[in-house]
Amino acid sequence: MEDAEFDDILDDWFIESLKTYKDLHVYQLEHPTQVLEWTSGKTVCVAGYSQSKNEILELRLPLKLLADENKSLCAERDFKVSHGGFTDGPVRCLIHIPGTRCAVTNDGLSSDLQVWDLGGEESDVIRRTGSIKGKKSAPERGSRIAARPSSAPQVLHGAQISDVQLTELASGESLYKLETDSADPLSSLQFVSDTVFLAGCCNGSVYVADTRTSAPPQLSHSPSSDKSVIWWTDGAARPHPSSCRVIRVSSSGQVVISDLRNLGGVGCQAQLDVQTPGRCSQVDVKVSWAPTLDDCVSVSGFSGVVQIYNTRLWGAEPQEARPLFEHRGHAVSSQQTDDSVPTFVTSHIWHPERPRTLLSAASDGSVHVWDWVDPDRQGGSPTP
Amino acid sequence: MPEIKVTPLGAGQDVGRSCILVSIGGKNIMLDCGMHMGYNDDRRFPDFSYITQNGRLTDFLDCVIISHFHLDHCGALPYMSEMVGYDGPIYMTHPTKAICPILLEDFRKITVDKKGETNFFTSQMIKDCMKKVIPLNLHQTVQVDDELEIKAYYAGHVLGAAMVHIKVGSESVVYTGDYNMTPDRHLGAAWIDKCRPDILISESTYATTIRDSKRCRERDFLKKVHESIERGGKVLIPVFALGRAQELCILLETFWERMNLKAPIYFSTGLTEKANHYYKLFITWTNQKIRKTFVQRNMFEFKHIKAFDRSYADNPGPMVVFATPGMLHAGQSLQIFKKWAGNEKNMVIMPGYCVQGTIGHKILNGQRKLEMEGRATLDVKLQVEYMSFSAHADAKGIMQLIRMAEPRNMLLVHGEAVKMEFLKGKIEQEFSIDCYMPANGETTTVTTNPSVPVDISLNLLKREMGLGGPLPDPKKPRTMHGTLIMKENSLKLVSSEQALKELGLNEHQLRFTCHVQLQDPHSDADTLHRIYTHLKSVLKGYTIQHLPDGTVIVESIVIKVSSSAEDSNTKVLLLSWSYQVKTWTLFLYIRGLPMQSKPDSSANHLVIESLF
Repeated sequence: MEDAEFDDILDDWFIESLKTYKDLHVYQLEHPTQVLEWTSGKTVCVAGYSQSKNEILELRLPLKLLADENKSLCAERDFKVSHGGFTDGPVRCLIHIPGTRCAVTNDGLSSDLQVWDLGGEESDVIRRTGSIKGKKSAPERGSRIAARPSSAPQVLHGAQISDVQLTELASGESLYKLETDSADPLSSLQFVSDTVFLAGCCNGSVYVADTRTSAPPQLSHSPSSDKSVIWWTDGAARPHPSSCRVIRVSSSGQVVISDLRNLGGVGCQAQLDVQTPGRCSQVDVKVSWAPTLDDCVSVSGFSGVVQIYNTRLWGAEPQEARPLFEHRGHAVSSQQTDDSVPTFVTSHIWHPERPRTLLSAASDGSVHVWDWVDPDRQGGSPTP
Repeated sequence: MPEIKVTPLGAGQDVGRSCILVSIGGKNIMLDCGMHMGYNDDRRFPDFSYITQNGRLTDFLDCVIISHFHLDHCGALPYMSEMVGYDGPIYMTHPTKAICPILLEDFRKITVDKKGETNFFTSQMIKDCMKKVIPLNLHQTVQVDDELEIKAYYAGHVLGAAMVHIKVGSESVVYTGDYNMTPDRHLGAAWIDKCRPDILISESTYATTIRDSKRCRERDFLKKVHESIERGGKVLIPVFALGRAQELCILLETFWERMNLKAPIYFSTGLTEKANHYYKLFITWTNQKIRKTFVQRNMFEFKHIKAFDRSYADNPGPMVVFATPGMLHAGQSLQIFKKWAGNEKNMVIMPGYCVQGTIGHKILNGQRKLEMEGRATLDVKLQVEYMSFSAHADAKGIMQLIRMAEPRNMLLVHGEAVKMEFLKGKIEQEFSIDCYMPANGETTTVTTNPSVPVDISLNLLKREMGLGGPLPDPKKPRTMHGTLIMKENSLKLVSSEQALKELGLNEHQLRFTCHVQLQDPHSDADTLHRIYTHLKSVLKGYTIQHLPDGTVIVESIVIKVSSSAEDSNTKVLLLSWSYQVKTWTLFLYIRGLPMQSKPDSSANHLVIESLF
């Protein structure tokens, strides 16, 4: 009793997903997002990136996903829009200030930042409360932003390495400036401790500095001298807090891992199979260390797939890396009406505590929440 | 100003009981009459005291409209019509009329028999209530009376669910009931034309959610069934009626075929009986595509799904059974449940809401020990899964519906205002319409701006066209003169002469006169001539004549000069004009003459009076 309509839901990916995912939720936003940012263990922010007006939404994860006991008795699978607001321009970067109901955004058109109040119990409206001026007036890709993990609300921001500064939100005062002459545009900015931060440049070089000192930053040169290639970076203080590993991925699929204590050296390398026709230049590649699984990294932005790798299998010589797991949901069930433009994953994030739960968003407006099953139990050491 | 009033009945802000009162064009309509399933006392009924403190509702309501058969939309209907008292028409679609009484009777049985309640409607009351029902077809305009008309639109959601368009004169309201904008497998998506109602009334329960896809819900269902079968367990799926049940059957059938599974799937006899009945309802109700997919399947043409016999429940090994009733409150599904509950390898999947007092409700609340008849205790060891397959529109869906209907105002019921400020802002921004969110018991008054159609007489139209100027254009309104005659229900615009003729009246003309005093030593004729010359020089473009009979005429204003009896230097100007003419300008021009003018308070007074 085959029916064409039911074949579409019983496609291979769907059947496979019964075994490969513990949980799977698929949502369709009205407008696609390039940002996914946790505002608590249960809530995440998304925002549109069209040229004019956009929405910022704070979404609460479905209760069924969060329920640990009595999961089976909970039928609630929907996102709740807990707060929402309007922006005047695109949102290319959105950072939540820990311990507050405050978020900071950048529109990718200038280096100025917008400050938002995400709203509390009394209102579900996200309001703009102010702005922070950046340095350069017309950067190519806007500013990167990082929030100081603890202490009073402060943001690190800049569009290029020489513009990086730490601004106190309440006063707008600039507390620190990175001293360097180079004008390389940034592709990432993050704190690895309360005062130490990494600034990854598009050309592949990584700077490490401490906001407490005005000493010049440490520099790790780009792994490649090819100027046509763009690099993205992520750092993590894993597996031990004293160590910090930095992973760099290039637009041609080259991957390099180094240790912060030995920035000049190369820990291990790999070559990712970057799909043709190739990356969409509007979409940033996102590379992320898993928060609780040692040695696991995730990569997205090359296509409609999110790939998870076990870096422990990588060696000093670059070899083709095979992903441990691939989330093909966005590519397979794309809601895109225009078939000529392939769907790209615009962003993804790991849940801070649940070991294998991720959220991913794509250019067709889809947002997936998925909890994958480790195909080979040896890979990664999960924290219960 | 004309206005429409909307009041959601009930106390507090809670969801669970839909009953909305609309006052439009002098008519009062009740939309839905739901029961709140969470309360055991009078709070479960809507608060009818808003309509009248005592006595029957018949005189106060022109009609009642029920959107679909869910108890939170029709559960209080027999109470309202038979215990409070209402004898007027009750409108609902054919499938709703067929299914409502079944659900109401089930509900009554559970509440009275199982929970032992007394102040509740009886079976006879349900029957008497249904006698007052007038069934509706989709897209068919029904005249409730000379002025009130209603029309049902497809809402999706469940079999027979409708959105309803209510019109009185040129004011209208659309009530959505529950609806969904993404097509389901056995139900299409809601559809309405660009009817531009004054108000679109919608529930806001899901307005601030983003729904998980149907695919993922189905995936979860198949995953759970498959896992149970793999470990040798039995799966019970209590279902109410066709539609959802059939959809799940087709899903399992296709999955079994794909995975080459061997475990048997059964469909209980209770369901087979209902099958033919609902089959007929589906034929008239659903659209072509769904009819093709769904209705043309015969229940027993499934390869993997067979008719159930009660003895099969004792067979060893894995199996899946679909059985009625849906809330495990009686009948076959309860019998099977009792047999299978003690084995932790087994599973029961509840695909919908269960009323308080049923076993279904208890196990969904985590109860693991149940008291059965004869003081026996049942240990619930099997896995209990609650899955929601109901189709509701979410935040995106509401925006789509507003785009479709293009209402002038939006009204959301059953939500917390503070939690919907963003949605309100979004609607107001995107559509530039007001969005209202009344609390239960609170009345929202929406001022409408209805257009009043008026017939214009051909003669008048020709005359106006003859005056020249641009053609009539909705974007460029033109003032015109005419008389509006309201006769019976029609409005006619005719020329004044025609109106007088129709009314059999003679035309009267009013002429006003006033006197202005001036100091001028010249003769009367000279003064008049000076006035004439002065006016001719300042009032260019106007017809000014100096007639031989000693008058100056400016358009239709007549001016005469005579000397005052007491003093020949004082001239009295007589000004005379008909009703339409504005004379203040003329007065000022005369004042501008290089003559001394003596303020004559009575003359000034007269002039001012005649200006207004």
